[in-house]
Amino acid sequence: MASPVPSACCVVLAAVVMVYAQRHSQMDTHVQYERLGADVTMQCGAMDWDAAVTWTANGTDIDESHLNGSHLVLRNVDLTHSGQYACYEGSSWHLKYQTYLKVGTSPKEPVLMCRSNNYPKGFYCSWHLPSPTYIPNAFNITVMHGPRELVCEKDAFPKNRCHIRYLQLFSTVKYKVTLTVTNALGRNATTITFDEFAIVKPDPPENVVAKPVSNNPRRLEVRWQNPSSWPDPESFPLKFFLRYRPLILDQWQHVELSDGTSHTITDAYAGKEYIIQVAAKDNDIGTWSDWSVAVHATPWTEEPKHLTTEAQVAETTTTGTSSFVPPPTTKICDLEAVVGSGAVTVSWAEGLVLAAVGVLFI
Amino acid sequence: MLYVSGEISGDSWGIFAFLCAALWNLPTIPALNSTDEVGAGQSIQKTYDLTRYLEHQLRTLAGTYLNYLGPPFNEPDFNPPRMTRAEMVPSATVDFELWRNLNDNARLAANYRAYTHLLCYLRSMDGQVAKAELRKNLGHFCTSLQGLVVSIASVMSSLGYPLPSPLGSANPTWAQGPGATSTHNDFLKKMDDFWLLKELQTWLWRSAKDFNRLKKKVPPAALMLRLEARGF
Repeated sequence: MASPVPSACCVVLAAVVMVYAQRHSQMDTHVQYERLGADVTMQCGAMDWDAAVTWTANGTDIDESHLNGSHLVLRNVDLTHSGQYACYEGSSWHLKYQTYLKVGTSPKEPVLMCRSNNYPKGFYCSWHLPSPTYIPNAFNITVMHGPRELVCEKDAFPKNRCHIRYLQLFSTVKYKVTLTVTNALGRNATTITFDEFAIVKPDPPENVVAKPVSNNPRRLEVRWQNPSSWPDPESFPLKFFLRYRPLILDQWQHVELSDGTSHTITDAYAGKEYIIQVAAKDNDIGTWSDWSVAVHATPWTEEPKHLTTEAQVAETTTTGTSSFVPPPTTKICDLEAVVGSGAVTVSWAEGLVLAAVGVLFI
Repeated sequence: MLYVSGEISGDSWGIFAFLCAALWNLPTIPALNSTDEVGAGQSIQKTYDLTRYLEHQLRTLAGTYLNYLGPPFNEPDFNPPRMTRAEMVPSATVDFELWRNLNDNARLAANYRAYTHLLCYLRSMDGQVAKAELRKNLGHFCTSLQGLVVSIASVMSSLGYPLPSPLGSANPTWAQGPGATSTHNDFLKKMDDFWLLKELQTWLWRSAKDFNRLKKKVPPAALMLRLEARGF
């Protein structure tokens, strides 16, 4: 036997739910994507054109001048027009329509590049858009190797990147990679084709360290390590390119090294701070890596003694000059420079002693 | 003198004779003195250097030849599908793990076979080229390539490996000369030339890596033991 009180409650509850549903059924939130610079017209749901309505943008009432009947007209929209738009019936203030407007552009041709920094394991491809679209974009990448399609596994980080493992090495067939970018306003794509060997580019060498060499004022010892991403330096050896210059000069000196991960610079200018960088390349294929992080080092100089050495006197005389003239490679004690300076006044006899000491140190 | 195997059979005499003829023409191969500790190592190094030299020469030669063939063969993005005909040219492409685990003998043999085939095909291409300058360059390249074949043979012999069977069976019908091809097959013939050059280029890249591996894996001591075992 059904009890009257609980069933009455059910009826009331059902009625409330129905009314609520009816009110909110017109309030499914829409999302609308529109092009930058376009004219946008929004209709207030099912309302007639001549109905009295009020539109709001992000909660703020919109002036009637933007209305055409019950339609909202936005001309030449820009990014500031993005937001939530709602339409309310005039008198009852019932919410009749709601939409989220997102202003953006269709995608321009994306920039795609592929590189193998871990040969012979595989390669990765990364991409980006040259200019923002301001709305969400979806990227799809396909990699073809002859007739076969390969799966490029998306990296967790960075996001716009995926990697492929080589199943076969020494392939004569080119790889063809196509990237398609799609959003609500359009799509665009780009394709690149390359040989297995052409995209090999290691990461720069790591842990570059430069140290002075005791009792050698013109030497600097440089050591580095193979990039950790290069999986097999035994079978796929790297060669290196070292460049160095004193901080005060613009011109680099270069040394190419076909093996080993160290080198001693033997023609450094005494007492000058040097900047040194190293790059790597597979011995036979591909291109040079980017330059490593720069390291600074100054060659060994002798501790100051009771008798100032020629090197230190030369230092004090040249610190004041604005343009640096490199000293000649065969050190000649320039008595003129020593005697002519006001910083250190030295008598002729002492100059001779200095010259003798200087010769001892060449 | 060098012995390819303990027993000298009919086939081995042929190989032996070939080697002799080749070695006679190539005095640069180092004499295998029992006191020369780095004999095989040096040969491997020389073979490696030869592949690099050839790869460099091929870049110029291929560029000129592809221009001679004309478009689309000389377009940088030209990426045609591989046809079965072209597969008569031995492919350098190999499964990664397989390549890594090749033993020295197999590695050297693969290189030897590839270049003997490639040399044969290149020579047939040589005879059909209309332009004299290009024919001359091709001829020079073939000579250098022959030097590479001999160099590889020398390494194999010095390590005691038998040379793979001679080319008698491989008779590329499509490379028999103008008489065998009609004008209808002109495009297909150009396609074959394209793939031949591509495969040659890829082999030279691969060989550099092969010989790098061999350099590391063949210590001079191993050679000494082998030479002693053969009574040198």
